[in-house]
Amino acid sequence: MLFAAMISGSRGSAKKLAGLVLGLSALLAMPFLSFGGLSFSGHVALGIFVMAAVFWITEPIPIYATSMAVILLQVLLLSDQSIILERLGPLHPEGYTAPPYVEFYSTLANPIIILFLGGFCLAAAAEKYRLDRNLTRVLLKPFGTRPRMVSLGVMVVTAVLSAFMSNTATTAMMITVAIPIVATVSHDDPFRRLIGLSIPVGANIGGIATPIGTPPNAVALAALAREGITVPFSTWMLMAVPLVVVTLLLAWLGICRMFKPRIDSFEIDIDSSFDRSPRAVASYVVFGMTVVLWVTEKLHGIPTTVVAFIPIVLLPAIGVLEKRDIRGFSWEVLWLVAGGISLGLSLQHTGLAVWMVSQIAWEGFGTTGLVVLFSLVGFLVANLVSHTVSATILMPIAISLVLPLAGGVAAALIIPIAAIGVIVSYANILPISTPPNAIAMSTGLIETRDIAVSGILVGVLGFVFTVLFALVLWPLVL
Amino acid sequence: MSQTIAILCVDDEPDVLEVAVRELAPLEDVFPVETAANAAEARECMERLERERTALGVIFCDHIMPGETGVDLLVAMTNDERRRQTRKILLTGQAGLDATVKAVNQADLAHYIAKPWDKDELLQVARRQMGLYIAACGLDPLPYLQYLGPEHAATLLRDYREADR
Repeated sequence: MLFAAMISGSRGSAKKLAGLVLGLSALLAMPFLSFGGLSFSGHVALGIFVMAAVFWITEPIPIYATSMAVILLQVLLLSDQSIILERLGPLHPEGYTAPPYVEFYSTLANPIIILFLGGFCLAAAAEKYRLDRNLTRVLLKPFGTRPRMVSLGVMVVTAVLSAFMSNTATTAMMITVAIPIVATVSHDDPFRRLIGLSIPVGANIGGIATPIGTPPNAVALAALAREGITVPFSTWMLMAVPLVVVTLLLAWLGICRMFKPRIDSFEIDIDSSFDRSPRAVASYVVFGMTVVLWVTEKLHGIPTTVVAFIPIVLLPAIGVLEKRDIRGFSWEVLWLVAGGISLGLSLQHTGLAVWMVSQIAWEGFGTTGLVVLFSLVGFLVANLVSHTVSATILMPIAISLVLPLAGGVAAALIIPIAAIGVIVSYANILPISTPPNAIAMSTGLIETRDIAVSGILVGVLGFVFTVLFALVLWPLVL
Repeated sequence: MSQTIAILCVDDEPDVLEVAVRELAPLEDVFPVETAANAAEARECMERLERERTALGVIFCDHIMPGETGVDLLVAMTNDERRRQTRKILLTGQAGLDATVKAVNQADLAHYIAKPWDKDELLQVARRQMGLYIAACGLDPLPYLQYLGPEHAATLLRDYREADR
């Protein structure tokens, strides 16, 4: 087979091959099986779901390619353009009304995808005119030169930036700034590890703070949007920022205890100054204006996802973003999320989600129990596979579970879904758990063991406080 | 698994090769160092690397050697699609102006090291050129970063375009 040939020869190929075979078998076999209570179209959807989950986890093909395949398979098998419906019509005997195929395609233009695109534009503009570096310089200053405070400063600044830029881009930028300076510190001084950990920890946690901070947030928001619930930017921040602040501070205290710096003072001296060219200034204005409009939604009523389109239009219009910059966006992330949203559609249309949920007696859990259970599963899975993928696989199931319990109350739906979306961002125990970890590891400042101990600390903090906040604080905000 | 990228040193004096290998030893874990005594051996070595699917990132090459000259070898490499990206460095005391000009103009010479070189010069140059090679080939820089030295690592990371996932 072509794929098999492509895959063999690289390491981990056994896992990939097994994933490929298992995923394809599930896709092909499901329509021929018959689970009680599940419609035929539900079986087809189950095949696609299992294949997608297996492919996303074992990665025989890139995760974004799996998302693309998910959209195509749904169009071919479950839409009004379905080859099965057309050729073998009676195979959908239970009177499944196939949604228009456009519905699957249009997940790529889902408002949440547009929100992310807006975020990409802002981040690209900030990077292009070095707003990120300059903000780092300005924001680090008040933290002074005492090593622990420098570490706190690095963590806080990384978190603030990664709330608006991708966690990975922020980590790369901060490491770029930090390595040449930290490299001058003696090799056996734990300060090196302290800084090497401050950056990925700050980036991983900081992404939680805003809807655009990291893709799992988008997955949660998209799942809610499908139920007709929109969460304003400011509401998300009111929920997430206190959580980020608390966990970041505790993580800092913990990491400082583990790695006691020996040097007395340390200065991160960044050689850069604000670009004052008209385009740069225009990009700062657009950035500021967009963020202000986002957080003041309750005053003017323009939805977050509509505001997001403003920088998409303005930044290329005033020449801040050029063709090259637009080509440089992480388009594959948008595909990844869109595939997930699209999968959620079929899970609902075909009744698969309801059927899956009905297989286990969940009633005893109650909403609190479900939040804890799904957070735990999400956390464990997200350590091993991509955060976005973990959120994508769990979210449709979670929302079907919570829906009957919520009884039409929006807050009762937002809290558990947001909690799951947030918790995956705390899953950073392994170097491979997130790209920020991988980047920090690659500098040689830290070792796998350091990532593991700080990851366990942050994971426990994140888990405990997310559940706590979800149960105690969030109901007050919503 | 990351791509293995080799360094090739070509010189007809065994002593020179020995010193070069010793100085490049800190890179050995990620960038294996190969040696050849003349152009013909160098070509053989390149063929072998290709069979092993190992990339050739940097070549340090003497000029005056028995048989084909170093500059001619470098020019031939530049004209060969498979070796065009390899960063080419002359390591010599005897290349005349003409040969040097030819190397710059026709072999896209990346660097010139005059014998005798300063201690660590070879290592510094190898680190920098390997960083440039990785950037030019668009390889994922992470597996190599800590061997490239902080400044070069920072340069590579600046263009690192991996997304959140």
